[in-house]
Amino acid sequence: MNPTLTIAGLTIREAVRRRLLLAFVAITVVIVGVSAWGFDRLSHSNSLTSGEANLAVPQALILFMFMFSFVLALSASAIASPSISSELESGVLMTIVPRPIRRTEVLLGKWLGLATLLAGYAGGVCALEFGVVALVSGFVPPSPVLAGVYLFAEGALLLTLALLLSTRVPVIAAGVVGVAVFGAGWLAGVVGTLGTTFNIGALRTVGNVGRFVLPTDGLWHAAIYYLQPASLIAQHLADGTHGGDPFYAQGAPSWAYLLWVFCWFGIVLAAALASFERREL
Amino acid sequence: MWQTNSADPAAVGVDSRQAVGGGVGRSVTVHPVLADGSPHAAMSPAIHAVGLSKRFGDTVAVDSLSITVQRGEVFGFLGPNGAGKTTMVKLLLGLARPTGGEALVLGAPLGDREARRQIGYLPELFRYQPLLTAREVLRLHCRLLALPKQTWRQEEHSALQTVDLVARGDDRVGTFSKGMQQRLGLGVALLGSPALVVLDEPTSALDPVGRHDVREIIRGLRERGSTVFLNTHLLQEAEHVCDRVAVIDKGRTVVTGSLAELLGRHGRVRLKVGGLGEGSWSGLDGFGHWHRDGEWTVVEGIDRSRIAELVGELVSRGGQIEAVIPEHQSLEARFLELLRER
Repeated sequence: MNPTLTIAGLTIREAVRRRLLLAFVAITVVIVGVSAWGFDRLSHSNSLTSGEANLAVPQALILFMFMFSFVLALSASAIASPSISSELESGVLMTIVPRPIRRTEVLLGKWLGLATLLAGYAGGVCALEFGVVALVSGFVPPSPVLAGVYLFAEGALLLTLALLLSTRVPVIAAGVVGVAVFGAGWLAGVVGTLGTTFNIGALRTVGNVGRFVLPTDGLWHAAIYYLQPASLIAQHLADGTHGGDPFYAQGAPSWAYLLWVFCWFGIVLAAALASFERREL
Repeated sequence: MWQTNSADPAAVGVDSRQAVGGGVGRSVTVHPVLADGSPHAAMSPAIHAVGLSKRFGDTVAVDSLSITVQRGEVFGFLGPNGAGKTTMVKLLLGLARPTGGEALVLGAPLGDREARRQIGYLPELFRYQPLLTAREVLRLHCRLLALPKQTWRQEEHSALQTVDLVARGDDRVGTFSKGMQQRLGLGVALLGSPALVVLDEPTSALDPVGRHDVREIIRGLRERGSTVFLNTHLLQEAEHVCDRVAVIDKGRTVVTGSLAELLGRHGRVRLKVGGLGEGSWSGLDGFGHWHRDGEWTVVEGIDRSRIAELVGELVSRGGQIEAVIPEHQSLEARFLELLRER
């Protein structure tokens, strides 16, 4: 078997045995259960007209998915940051690296294994939450698969960044930096939204630059776009509030932006591979 | 399954042909990169380092170190803590890059992937996947070594048997004591019958029984023709199993040679001989300096190769030989002497 796949398999097996997946599944099921009750109340509330309920349910779903995107980002950072530094400190990697394999294969295997776990979690969360919402309220996002893909991509981006940090800095530093960077990226997006709302060029620039430096917020907005029904977009356009809501996306991401995101992945992954390759063990 | 050799270091097979870096000069650069099993690769020394150096900022960990380890020998790499032994091992395995000098391992440049296929390594800082069983760890390394799948089971069993872990093979490594993990590490290092086995402080976590077992394993490796590079600060270990040793301190070689060379040809012999009067001992001063120690006669400074001749002479004079105990300076004493001389 290819060494990369061997390491990926090892990474997944260890995560499963660590009961990491079990813990995530358990907490997710609880949250989705609570959300099922909330969406049921919301969609059958007597204080809302059916039109208001049709707008409130997608907005609430976007808020819930924002929470899950945070969980995904946090878990991506948490599982990737110890993968190199911690195993070097403990000595586990010192038994693997001298084998007749390339260090790049070790790192790619780790990335592949962790990304597979993340994809499984993102897919599971989306399927559960979208299913439950559809069941209790009848609302189905316009493109649930694309929304899920962008949520996963957001987590994978942080995973890749945390892996790069893990090749050089201790586990806690890598984890903290990963989460902080995610927060900063989201905040830059909010600042950009404020800039658009109040027509402040400098703030708008912060948002735009932030989306390129760390595309997590851009990907999150892509996910939002595919969660919004046409009625919600029409409502925002009618109200003229399209620029002022951080949980609203005006349009799908451009091909140029998606190309940049691919480049970003490539650059950070290449930096991680080069960093690990050059590191003295 | 392992054969036991004599514990007397003087009786251990000695190869004194290799001088440190002898005659290699810069010729190391023209060695072909051969780890492909070709005749040239097979003939090259297991390790051939010339002027290898490693600096960490202003700190010199390895300072222009030259060694040659022949194939099939057990080579002890000795030195006090912080002497640069582990750094040297990391350089040889390609885990760290030298800042000077050159080296070939199994005829290939440092870190060569194909050469690493032929190297078994037990690191000083060892830890194996705690959530895997011992068998799964061994299987993982069989995969990483790209051993044929049909051999995995046999390799696993053989490794577990050698390190006496068959009964714990299906237990998770996380439940193992440190000593058991070190045994497992030794088993991992033996997978695929490597041509070179690098053991970095292989008995640091072992009890006396474990240490004895490791010595037996090393002897077994020599029997089957593997080269062993034993990095240790436990001199007794080296004294028991090594053909040749290098003593290093502060990153530099202090001395290299066979144990006989290191400990000197001259030693001491204690004799218990009956049937001889005081006058019968005259004319034997050429063997060394005599003195009495109770019922023992002690000859100091005797050439160890002449002990048999001395015994023959005493028998010819009517002596009844009850005991002959050759004594030599211990490696530990010699080691301390060498370090003090620096």
